[in-house]
Amino acid sequence: MNHPYSLSGKRILVTGASGGLGRAIATLAAQMGAVVVVHGRNAEKCQETLRSLAGSGHSMAVCDLLGGDLSGWMKSLAGDGGPLHGLVHAAGIQIVRPLRVLDERVLNETMASNVTTALMLTKAFRQRDVCAGGGSVVWLSSVMALTGQPGQAAYSASKGALVSMCRSLALELSAERIRINCLAPGLVDAGMGGRLRDCLPPDRFDAAAAMHPLGLGKPEHVAGPAVFLLSDAAAWITGTTLTVDGGYCAH
Amino acid sequence: MTLTEFHSQLDNILELPSGTIKGDEGLENLPAWDSLAVLSFIAMADEKLKVQFSARDIAACTTVADLARLAGDRIS
Repeated sequence: MNHPYSLSGKRILVTGASGGLGRAIATLAAQMGAVVVVHGRNAEKCQETLRSLAGSGHSMAVCDLLGGDLSGWMKSLAGDGGPLHGLVHAAGIQIVRPLRVLDERVLNETMASNVTTALMLTKAFRQRDVCAGGGSVVWLSSVMALTGQPGQAAYSASKGALVSMCRSLALELSAERIRINCLAPGLVDAGMGGRLRDCLPPDRFDAAAAMHPLGLGKPEHVAGPAVFLLSDAAAWITGTTLTVDGGYCAH
Repeated sequence: MTLTEFHSQLDNILELPSGTIKGDEGLENLPAWDSLAVLSFIAMADEKLKVQFSARDIAACTTVADLARLAGDRIS
């Protein structure tokens, strides 16, 4: 493949690739020619993702993204398989808590899992021994960064933080030819979104679903935009948040 | 958790004075039992009873006693 949307010749790390959006992104990246490093916390599910990828040369890396030496970990990933050209951070948590039952522990856990990891992964990615003289970083934010829903204060705070951080980092990393952008997906009926169906009262979930003029999303709807941002076709795009929401935010 | 503590948790969730919930209330008779209360109850069960209920589980309950029965042996 030799066109700007191809990922041929690129090695991409996808976190949270054991399921949901991360798996869909890893799958499409491989189809577009990338060599993929599949990250997750569940080895069995990572293995499933790995086995399903088109092409060859892919690998998996199972670890907790909090509390460890991410810089050392990414150096060893690059040392083992070659430098990275892209990072997609799709790992994260969503804990639905109305304010009356939201406490500091849940807020801190959400911010650590969703924000601290994004920053530390990107810090690790920009090391000279890791990224191949530039690259593309894609953070999975959410429409909850741009609009709200009851019970989502902690999650919204964390996803909003990604949108803001991305702008400052884009300016800081441009000299290193590293682009960084966010995706803001709407409600996808799989993975984290699928689990939301279980914990929201049916009328609330149905109401949220009805606010998507194009219907609920599928993981592949988000994978396409992620792969685009990773590709050379997005060479002039940095510091932005691409909303991928079936029209949800158009209201 | 004792049944009394369970009722007390419901008082908190519904933001009622302590000791209001006695256990025989119909949920539709509690004005504050709305979707935020359901979310809060699911959160409380997750944190304090270490059990994950779905919204469907809660929707099948019509009384406070039903909610307590849902928790099973996690309430003594």
